[in-house]
Amino acid sequence: MEEGRAERRRRTEAPSHMQGGTRRAGVMTDVHRRFLQLLMTHGVLEEWDVRRLQKHCYRVHDRTAAVEELEDFINNINSVLESLYIEIKKGATEDDGRPVYALVNLATTSVSKMASDFAENELDLFRKALELIIDSETGFASSTNILNLVDQLKGKKMRKKEAEQVLQKFVQNKWLIEKEGEFTLHSRAILEMEQYIRETYPDAVKICNICHSLLIQGQSCETCGIRMHLPCVAKYFQSNSEPRCPHCNDYWPHEIPEVFDPEKEREASTSKANRKSLRSRQH
Amino acid sequence: MLQKPESGALPILRAEGEKDGGRDGETQALAASQEAASPLLQETPGEHLGARREEGPAEPALAPRGARTLAAKASARRRAYRRLDRTVAELVQFLLVKDKKKSPITRSEMVKYVIGDQKDLSPEIIARAAEHLRHVFGFELKQLGRKQHTYILINKLKPLEEEEEEEDLGGGGPRLGLLIMILGLIYMKGNSARETQVWEMLRRLGVRPSKYHFLFGYPKRLIMEDFVQQRYLSYRQVPHSNPPECEFSWGPRSNLEISKMKVLGFVAKLHKKEPQHWPVQYREALADEADRARAKARAEASMRARARGA
Repeated sequence: MEEGRAERRRRTEAPSHMQGGTRRAGVMTDVHRRFLQLLMTHGVLEEWDVRRLQKHCYRVHDRTAAVEELEDFINNINSVLESLYIEIKKGATEDDGRPVYALVNLATTSVSKMASDFAENELDLFRKALELIIDSETGFASSTNILNLVDQLKGKKMRKKEAEQVLQKFVQNKWLIEKEGEFTLHSRAILEMEQYIRETYPDAVKICNICHSLLIQGQSCETCGIRMHLPCVAKYFQSNSEPRCPHCNDYWPHEIPEVFDPEKEREASTSKANRKSLRSRQH
Repeated sequence: MLQKPESGALPILRAEGEKDGGRDGETQALAASQEAASPLLQETPGEHLGARREEGPAEPALAPRGARTLAAKASARRRAYRRLDRTVAELVQFLLVKDKKKSPITRSEMVKYVIGDQKDLSPEIIARAAEHLRHVFGFELKQLGRKQHTYILINKLKPLEEEEEEEDLGGGGPRLGLLIMILGLIYMKGNSARETQVWEMLRRLGVRPSKYHFLFGYPKRLIMEDFVQQRYLSYRQVPHSNPPECEFSWGPRSNLEISKMKVLGFVAKLHKKEPQHWPVQYREALADEADRARAKARAEASMRARARGA
């Protein structure tokens, strides 16, 4: 019977709308599935970690196959994820430009991934912190200012002491970064919530003049006010002895950071890696 | 970084918080998806849903009015497909988010928070979401019990060997260890253990029910709420017990995710002995392994038969 056959086909093959069509859909094997599961578990991973993860997945599920080039590997998976409105998105940390990856929602605009881990008042605290961060000049919101908003939270009443713990929970879960008592967004939050932020705070949001993505931390021109991410500044002014604002041509008054170099990073990373994996096991 | 433009009012997916204590979950705020042309939407070919939709026979010579009506119908059908696709995608995300907490999901929750007014298409939506979960992520959407309409996600990828697990970059370790200790105790006590016995064992390990533990948090909450809610443990009052006592046994998720043989192996290692040291439990574990092998063979045979039939 026609219906039975279509159902049976669906069960044993990829759903037909994933095959053919205008885009060549990637092939999903257990290698890719394991990769996705682990990426989801970690929320966000740096590139060197992602490469390790990829090799691990090949080792576990398909020792004989050649490890595909990471970019192609991810593009293949993304072509399958497209019909689910999610993708593996690549970004960079705002302070030093290290490439990071996360699995993000394309179609929604919410703090949905956080919703499963946090209570209503905790999510509202995050939203308040988010607003302060976006409105700030530096991209950082002080602990004091965030805690002062504790009375305005929706849901169950929260004391300041409790709120301090919640902020630490956000840091542990990689939604916020803390530096000297001030909080900014983790690259995970930027990757996952960029669309939400741009739509919810269209007037307050800052955009990088170079890459046109959301900007939380960065440098700004003192004359015309345009802003750039630190890694974007690094790349744009690389080996330029007289850096000038791309918009108004005025002298660029800030220190130009170094471009992120994965090679240099790898040398330092062996000792770092051990420390990192210890940390990740502790939660 | 390329920005993918999206249309205005977008569905906001929020998984509701769990019913315990201070968590007042945020309930749904799903706006119907706008069907402004989005580069994300693929043209779904007609035969995709062909089995369920009425596709009229191809009409030969079309009068202009007939052609317009047909075009309008076709575009309405496309909108419906896209809306369906969207709902399926949201359900997949909803299930993944819920599963992260390991809490079982009911069909009514799926309808309430994701499916909404497309309720009549629930079976199809759920089936397609299940297929995506299987094909893309390697999870199986498993119904717990035939009548209950409660589901969990089972990882279908092959379980990792010990050395492989090290590489897995960690996550969830200590709590799982605690669980396995409890499962071990339950098993060795003949498949159920009194609550007092469980706490006694943990006390010997320096774990007290209501004292914060740096690895487990609040053990009482972890065991009595989280593990029970996640169906790793079952908890009930011992019938006819006086004074009333409660006991733990393996929950349905434990039966699906781990085996008696594995748990026996863990206990054996702990005591630096071989599993055969406990003949009763060893025999029971062997029988369990045989059952699992049979069930697996049956499942594979029926899959092959279905594949042949297609």
